[in-house]
Amino acid sequence: MANITKKVSWSSRGDESGGGERTPLLNGSEEVRYTRQFSGDGGMFHIGRLSTVDLEEDMTSDEDSVRGCPKEIPHNEKLLSLKYESLDYDNSENQLFLEEERRMSFLGFKCLEISRWVICGLIGFLTGLIACCIDIAVENLAGVKYFVVKQNIEKFTEVGGLSISLILWAVLNSAFVMVGAVIVAFFEPGAAGSGIPQIKCYLNGVKIPRVVRLKTLVVKVCGVICSVAGGLAVGKEGPMIHSGAVVAAGVSQGRSTSLKKDFKIFEYFRRDTEKRDFVSAGAAAGVSAAFGAPVGGVLFSLEEGASFWNQMLTWRIFFASMISTFTLNFFLSIYNKKPGDLSSPGLINFGRFESDSVAYNLYEIPLFIVMGAVGGLLGALFNILNYWLTIFRIRYVHRPCLQVMEAMLVAAVTATVSFAMIYFSNDCQPLGPDQSEDYPLQLFCADGEYNSMATAFFNTPERSVRSLFHNPPGSYNPLTLSLFTLTYFFLACWTYGLTVSAGVFIPSLLIGAAWGRLFGILLASITPNGSIWADPGKYALIGAAAQLGGIVRMTLSLTVIMVEATGNVTYGLPIMLVLLTAKIVGDYFVEGLYDIHIKLQSVPFLHLEAPATSHWLTAREVMGAPVTCFNRIEKVGTIVDVLSNTSTNHNGFPVVVPVAASDDMGKICGLILRSQLIVLLKHKVFVELARSRLTQRKLQLKDFRDAYPRFPPIQSIHVSQDERECMMDLTEFMNPTPYTVPQETSLPRVFKLFRALGLRHLVVVDSENRVVGLVTRKDLARYHMGKHGLEEMQLAQT
Amino acid sequence: MYIFQVAALLIALLYYGNAQTSTVAVNPTILGSELSADGLKQLAAAVAPQSPVFHPSRGSYFSLNLLSAFPEDLEVSDYCVELLAIFGQRYSTYVNCLVSAARPVKVCQNCYGTHDNLMEIYTNISSDQMGPGNVSCRDSLLRSDRLMLVFLLYNNLEDIWTGSECNSCVSLGLHSLTNDTLYFMATLNQSLRCFEKFQQGNHSALCKECKATYRGLNELYSRMEKNRTLCIDIEDSMNMTRRLWSKNFNCSFPRAENVPVIAVSSFMLFLPIIFYLSSFLHSEQKKRKLIHPKRAKSNTSLVNIQDRLS
Repeated sequence: MANITKKVSWSSRGDESGGGERTPLLNGSEEVRYTRQFSGDGGMFHIGRLSTVDLEEDMTSDEDSVRGCPKEIPHNEKLLSLKYESLDYDNSENQLFLEEERRMSFLGFKCLEISRWVICGLIGFLTGLIACCIDIAVENLAGVKYFVVKQNIEKFTEVGGLSISLILWAVLNSAFVMVGAVIVAFFEPGAAGSGIPQIKCYLNGVKIPRVVRLKTLVVKVCGVICSVAGGLAVGKEGPMIHSGAVVAAGVSQGRSTSLKKDFKIFEYFRRDTEKRDFVSAGAAAGVSAAFGAPVGGVLFSLEEGASFWNQMLTWRIFFASMISTFTLNFFLSIYNKKPGDLSSPGLINFGRFESDSVAYNLYEIPLFIVMGAVGGLLGALFNILNYWLTIFRIRYVHRPCLQVMEAMLVAAVTATVSFAMIYFSNDCQPLGPDQSEDYPLQLFCADGEYNSMATAFFNTPERSVRSLFHNPPGSYNPLTLSLFTLTYFFLACWTYGLTVSAGVFIPSLLIGAAWGRLFGILLASITPNGSIWADPGKYALIGAAAQLGGIVRMTLSLTVIMVEATGNVTYGLPIMLVLLTAKIVGDYFVEGLYDIHIKLQSVPFLHLEAPATSHWLTAREVMGAPVTCFNRIEKVGTIVDVLSNTSTNHNGFPVVVPVAASDDMGKICGLILRSQLIVLLKHKVFVELARSRLTQRKLQLKDFRDAYPRFPPIQSIHVSQDERECMMDLTEFMNPTPYTVPQETSLPRVFKLFRALGLRHLVVVDSENRVVGLVTRKDLARYHMGKHGLEEMQLAQT
Repeated sequence: MYIFQVAALLIALLYYGNAQTSTVAVNPTILGSELSADGLKQLAAAVAPQSPVFHPSRGSYFSLNLLSAFPEDLEVSDYCVELLAIFGQRYSTYVNCLVSAARPVKVCQNCYGTHDNLMEIYTNISSDQMGPGNVSCRDSLLRSDRLMLVFLLYNNLEDIWTGSECNSCVSLGLHSLTNDTLYFMATLNQSLRCFEKFQQGNHSALCKECKATYRGLNELYSRMEKNRTLCIDIEDSMNMTRRLWSKNFNCSFPRAENVPVIAVSSFMLFLPIIFYLSSFLHSEQKKRKLIHPKRAKSNTSLVNIQDRLS
C-alpha cells in the first residue's frame, strides 16, 4: 500500500506540473500523443503495429486482418466474455466532487445518513411485500391447479381413464411453465435462473447487463410464480434474493429509467459505489424474506460481497433484513386472517423442531458427518450433471423458442413422472388427525387412507419439505422415499438452468430431506430400541442441510440460514459440521453450482484470492498495452474517434502530460472514464465554447448523475465537423489520483488491490511515472488454477 | 463400534454419578414432605384396600392415622365433605361408563349423562358461592395442598372428554345427542344392514349393491368433517365401516389401467429425447469468436525495447 500512496502522490505532482503546461498545450493542440515514433521504425514492426492501434485489451481489427478470420470455438467454461464490464466502485475524486463536498453543509451529511436508513427500510418493506405477493399468488394458483387435478383424478379413479388425468396434469403444468418461460426467454433473459450467480457477480463488481432493471424484477416475479405453480422442481427462494437486489437498486436511485419517472430524491446515491451498498442490503432482505433469516441474510451479503464492507453498512443491512422479514410476516398474518400473529417469518417455514425426540446426542455427530460426506458426493454429482447439461444448452438450445419448448417439456415430464410414481405406489398411510395434507390423494388406497407418494409429489415443494421434516415416524416407507429421492434428484438437476426464473434451494432441501429421512428410518430399524433417538424428521433436516451444502457450497451464511429457519439454535453445531463436510468433500470433485454457472457465463469474476503459484507473474505480463491515453486538453475529434471505435470499447483512459524530451508515453496525471467523456460531449464542454459564451452554466456532478446508469452510446451524440476541431479540458473532470502500480508488482498484489478497493482500472507505470499499461478486471480474471497448474482463459465475443 | 461402546459406557458412568449426587441432595426434602400431615393421609388412602374412591366421611380410616384430628377451624366442613362424597360417587360412575364404552368407542353417546352429572357437582365445588355456615369448598377441597387431587382427577377426565370432542355431538343444554349425530347413526345403520344382507356369498355383489348407501354415508361424513361436527364415536364407527368396505369386502378401486398410463407416460418421456436429439442435429452450434491476447510477449518486448532505447 505504501507503494501506491507514493505513486498517487507522484501523479498528483504530475498534475501540478501539467497545470503549468496548460497554455502551451492549448496552442499546440495537434501535438502527437501516442507513441507514434515507433510506427515509423521499420525494425520495430511488432511494436509499431500495436502502438498504432488504440487498445487496452488487444482486440483489434488490425489483428483480424493479419490473422484472417477470428478463430471460433464452441462455448466452454474457460472463456471470458467481452460483454461484461466492471462497475466503478472507485470514487472519482475530481474537482467537481470536491466542490460539491465543500458546498454540502454538515446538515446535508446528516440528511444523507438518514436517507440511507430510510432507503434501507423501504428496501426491506418492498422486498417483504414482493415475497408476500409471490407467496400468495403461488399458493392460490397451485391450489387451483391441484384442486382441479385432484377432482379429475378422483372422478377417473372410479370410472376409469386415469391417463386423461395424467394428460390434464401435464398440460396444466406446461401451460403455466410456458407463460413463465415465454416472458423470460423473449422479454428478459436476465431473469432466468435463481439470480444468485448474477447478484454474486454484481457484488463482486461485474456489471451484468440489465440485471437490476425494473423489467427484470417484473419478469422475475411473474416467472417464479408461473414456474412454481407449474409444478417444476424449483423453489421461489433464490429469486427472492435477486428481487430484493433489484428493489434496492431501484429504490436507492429515487427514479425509474424504464418508467421514465424521476422522483428527484436520493440523487446523491446515483453512482455505483452507493448503489452497491444498497444492492447488498437488498440481497440480504431477499434472503431474509425467503427463509425468515435476517442474520443469515446479512451474512449472505457479507459472504458474497465481503471485499467492500464496513460496520455501519452491516447494521443498516441488518435493519433492512429485519424490516423485510417483519413485513412478510405481518402481511401473511393478515392474509391468513390472524393479524398480529407473527409466525411465518419466511417463504419457507421449516416448522418447529422442539420436541424431545429431535434433540441430538454426542454419539450422533459422527453420523451427521457421514451424512455431510454423502451430501457432498451427491451435490458434486448434481453439479457435474448440471454442468454438462448447461454446456449442451448454451451450445445447442440457445434460441428462445427452443428454450420455451424445453421448459414446457420438462414441466410435462415432471408431471408424468410424478403421476406414474403416485400411480404405481403401494404405500398407503392412514390420514392422521394432525397432518395437514392439503391435497391428499386416495387413488387405490383403502378408504380413509391416502397415497404416501402423493404427499411428496402432489404438493408444492415447500410443503413436501415440511412434511418430510415433521410427519411422524412411519408416514413414509423406505421404498417410497428412495424412489422419490432418485426421481427428484434427476428432475431437479434437469430443471436448474432452464429459461425460467426459479431457484435451487428448495429442490436441494427436498432431495436431502428425502434421503435424510430414509437414513433415519434405516438407522432406527438397524439399531436396537433406536426409535428413541433416531427421529426421521431430525435426520431429514440434517440430510437437507448436507444436500444443499453439497450443491451450493455456501458456508457461514447457509449455516445461519438453516439455524434460523429451523428456529433451533442447538442445531447450529450439527448443521455447521454437515455443511463443512459437504463442502470439503464436494470441492474435491467440482465447484459449487453458482460458481459453475458464473464460469459458464464467462463472467470475469474475481475470487477471494489470486490463484496460487502466481507470484511470478508481474503487472507487466498481466497488463494490457499500449494504452489509449488522452491529453489534459484534448481535441474533440480524437475523443469521438476513440470512443466510437467499435473494436475497442475501453472505459477508462489515463490522462497524460507529454514528457517534453521523450518519445514515449506521457506521465500520468489522471484517469477519465468513458461515461464522463460522453456526458462532457453531450453538454459540449469545449474550451472554445466556454470562451465565447461566458455565461454558460458550469457542469456539475449532478449532470453526471442524471445520465447514470444508462449513459447514451457515443453514436447517439452528434458532433459537428466544426466541433471536432474544438478542444476539451479534462482537468476538472478526471480522477486526478488514480491508483497506479509499478511494472514489477506481482499478480497477487494487483489482485488484492482490485478485490479490496473494487477497482476498475489500475494504471501500470514505469519508474518515470509514464503510463506503460492498464490492468483491468479481465486481465486478472483470466488466470485460474486448472488441472495442470496456472491456466489462462481466452477472451471471446459473445 | 468399539469406540461407540466406550463412549456409551463413559456417558452411562457420567449419568450414574449425577444420579447419585442428586438423590443425596434431594433426600432431606422428600423426608420433610413425607412427614407432613397431607402426605400421611394420602399414604393411608393408598394403603386402604377398599374402593378406589376416597371416602373421608368414614371414621374408621382415621384410626389408622398417626396424627389426631386438627383443630376445628382447619378441618374441612361437613358440607364440603358431603360434596366430596357425591363427587366420588359420580366420578366412579362416569369412569365405569367410560371403560365399558372404550371399544368400539361409544363414549359420547353412552356417557354424556354421567359426564353432565360430574360436571355439575364439580361446578358446585369450584364455585365461590358460600355454602351453609359461610364456607367455600373451593379453597378447602381444591387448593389447600400441593397435590390438588380433586382438581387433578377431574382435569384428567375433562381432558378425555375434550380429546374425544364429544361436545360436537352432544348438545349441552338439551342433554341429548345432536340431530346430526342421530342422522349419521341412522345412515350408518342403513349401510351396516346392507352389508349384513349381502355378506354371505360373493363380495362383488355387496360392493355393487351397497355402494349407494356407503357413498351417501361417506359424503355425509365428509360434510360433517368440514363443519367440524365430528366426535370420536362417529370417527371410529366411520373408520370401522371403511375398513370393512376396503379391507374385508375389498371394494376399493382396482388398478386397472396400467396399459394406457404406461403408454402415455412413455410417450411423454420420449418427447424430450426427440427434442434434444433434434436440437443437437439441427440447431447450429453456438460458436464463440476468440480474441487472442498477446500482451505478455509484446509487452515484454516493448519493455525491452524501451530499456534499450533509453
